[in-house]
Amino acid sequence: MKRDNLLAAFKTAALVAAVGGLCLVLLPNYWIFLVTAVFIIGMSLQSLGLVVGRSGMISLCQMSFAGVGAWTVGYLNLIGFPGGLIVWMLIGGLAALPFGLIIGIPALRLRGINLAIVTLGFAVAFGVVLGTITYPGQTTFQMVQRPAGFDSDRGYFILVLIVYGISAVALEVVSRSRLGASWLAVSHSERAAASLGVSVPLSKLSAFAISSFIAGVSGGLLAGYMGTLLADNFSMMQSLVLFAVAIMVGAQFPLGAILGGILVALFPELLRRLNLPQDLGSVIFGLGAVQALSTGETMSETFGRLIRKMMPKRPAAGGGDETALPAPRPDTGAPNALQASGITVRYGNVVALNNASLSVPKGKVVGLIGPNGAGKSTFVDAMTGYLPRYEGDVLFQGDNINALGVTQRARAGLRRTWQTTRMAPDLTVGQYVDLASGGGLTDAEIAAVLDWFDCPPAGELIAAVDSGARRLLDVAGVVAARPPVILLDEPAAGQSYAEAVMLGKRIAEIPQRFGSSVLLIEHDMDLVRTACSEVTVLDFGTVLAAGPTAEVLDMPVVKKAYMGIDFEHEEAAE
Amino acid sequence: MDSLLTSAVAGLSAGGAYAILGVCVVFTFRLVAVVNFTATALGAIGAFVMVFLTEAGYPLVPAVLTGLVAGTLASVVVGFVTTIWFSGANQTVKAAVTAAILVCLIALGLRFTGGQHPRAFPDLVGGAGLRLAGVTITTASLVSIALAVILTVAVEQFLARTRTGLQLRALSERPMAAELLGVPVRPLALGVWAASGAMTTIALMLIAPLRSPDFGSLSLLVVPAFAAALVGMFQSFRAALAGGILIGVIEGLASGFVELAQYRSAVPFLVILTVLMWSQRGARWDEAR
Repeated sequence: MKRDNLLAAFKTAALVAAVGGLCLVLLPNYWIFLVTAVFIIGMSLQSLGLVVGRSGMISLCQMSFAGVGAWTVGYLNLIGFPGGLIVWMLIGGLAALPFGLIIGIPALRLRGINLAIVTLGFAVAFGVVLGTITYPGQTTFQMVQRPAGFDSDRGYFILVLIVYGISAVALEVVSRSRLGASWLAVSHSERAAASLGVSVPLSKLSAFAISSFIAGVSGGLLAGYMGTLLADNFSMMQSLVLFAVAIMVGAQFPLGAILGGILVALFPELLRRLNLPQDLGSVIFGLGAVQALSTGETMSETFGRLIRKMMPKRPAAGGGDETALPAPRPDTGAPNALQASGITVRYGNVVALNNASLSVPKGKVVGLIGPNGAGKSTFVDAMTGYLPRYEGDVLFQGDNINALGVTQRARAGLRRTWQTTRMAPDLTVGQYVDLASGGGLTDAEIAAVLDWFDCPPAGELIAAVDSGARRLLDVAGVVAARPPVILLDEPAAGQSYAEAVMLGKRIAEIPQRFGSSVLLIEHDMDLVRTACSEVTVLDFGTVLAAGPTAEVLDMPVVKKAYMGIDFEHEEAAE
Repeated sequence: MDSLLTSAVAGLSAGGAYAILGVCVVFTFRLVAVVNFTATALGAIGAFVMVFLTEAGYPLVPAVLTGLVAGTLASVVVGFVTTIWFSGANQTVKAAVTAAILVCLIALGLRFTGGQHPRAFPDLVGGAGLRLAGVTITTASLVSIALAVILTVAVEQFLARTRTGLQLRALSERPMAAELLGVPVRPLALGVWAASGAMTTIALMLIAPLRSPDFGSLSLLVVPAFAAALVGMFQSFRAALAGGILIGVIEGLASGFVELAQYRSAVPFLVILTVLMWSQRGARWDEAR
């Protein structure tokens, strides 16, 4: 995988160099000038793709960030700041960064359309401010100086190409890293991302920060390209058009950013030559975006799909080796891995959990069973910190962790899986396990864990994985992290009988192989008998029985409540 | 002091229009779950139809009525796209769709209305209304605020007391369940779009003479509309009403200072930022996340 990443970065760099080289050889000066704009706009699109495509949020002020960068460059040019355009450009990017952070803060905890609203507001406000203070040097006709050696149109094209290439390679590397995987995970489900130990605010803020920095740099490039700029170059309408194009082409993909740059920069030229009004372009981009949203497929993805169809299929990667499984983490010495005592949860007048206690002894697999609605998942939610309030204490390796949030508990090593899987479909299996494990695993170790749970190979996209295998992958992810405690919420739901029995054997081996203690919530009694040494039975939010598995499952009161043998009781339950 | 009061009162007229717009945004969001970025552009279509007719020499009343119909129809068309084509999509996708449509609308609108060239919008209600404590309150502000208040009360009562209102609330909370119960989901949803389109058009006709009335600037009024709706957290009509008037007054105050006057259009952004920062305090894990 790490080699794959290098390869992808190298491919991107080679592609940019090849395209740029071809342009330089083939195109006359007029077209070189036009194509320079393709790459500058392509860079703004890259920055937008990060927020819109990867993080799944609407940002409508990308050109304002570019405007901050451009204005900074203009100002530094005016005062004759040392270093020239390349240094000014980087300062411009850094100047745009705090704006990105401030705009991003409202979207940290409130999801949905807040970012769209605040960015539109910023775009309008920035337009007003820039219209009033004007671009530095605009009134005195002082043009932004291009750096020596890059001052001709061809020279400047090479500079733009280099900057574009650097940012494309950097984005390729970042998007394949755990940070990039966390963006996709957060955009798909914040709850699930937090359960992997991902800090949701940090993940989002890093996306905003990188995005606004790149946008700022692209603004600086634009300043050197045009010499002087007007407020209109950075108006809200420009940002809106850029947004529509980003949606239409899929700006999060390397191909999409270039494609979008070509559309924005060259489409007006085409319309001009056809004697058509140039604002037709915006209309087409808007309609294209609606079309992409309705099919759920961007232009890059369409092209990618068509190209893959023509390519021969690669054979699946070989399975992992059992001896390569990652070693358990060192022991801390606390007797009980997890101890929850007196947990009470109320939803209004409904008592979902009433003074319930259980403990997960170190090195064991214990079960939590009970009929539907008994409060099992609520118990897991309480212990992992997803509930706004609960009474009672959760002791993790002897420490009270009531005050810790979801991410902190997950990072400390109290991990869970979900009854319905919530994995981002755009991640590959390997990326998911790498993200879930908290990092530090080699490719061989990841492959071994995947193989041990009979999961699909690391290179497969999660979107292509069936739901039964996704549940196994969910388990493989937490196990790969080797935390002190794993809470498995119905891992065998949707599995065939044979798969469930095999999964039970694997779960029973987890403490010995990976050093984690396990709490297993399950309805499949065969699985519980196979895997668990002790069980706790919940019914209507209270603990009915607890003890060694065989004994507890034979208790009449458990049979009554759980197996539904006593019909009167069952009627009362409904 | 007196001049401050005068500038604040001068903002009332815009404030009333913002309040109407904010209430419409909340109305659309609560009932059909769409944050509509095209709201004011659609209203602008109606307002410009009115201007074209008056410029062509038609009398005011039929021109206003035709404009109303145009704005309403335009809103129904966008409503059709978002509620019928994107019925299963989530909130973010629907909002993105309206943002993309906004790009088309602004480009087309600027083309058909002569770009930045301002039009002579007629004052629908002119003249000085009344004088209070030495400050003149224009009839326009009285009318727009009165309309905003009437609209808020009417919408609240309609939703709370009528059978259609009950169906609409069912539609907004569980569209699928409402459909299974036999609630006519599509006609109701389109009805919501028609109503909000008509009300937005009225608000734009009122506010256009106060602004540089080109299509782009009028479409941008969606920002103060959102700011007002955010004050009510996209839920409360009354808070949106108050928010709209408040934004108008703050803008008016800003215009009273020479150094600030040019920046008054940035006021809604500051309101948005403040409200969002404030409302994050209690955010917690819920199913949607």
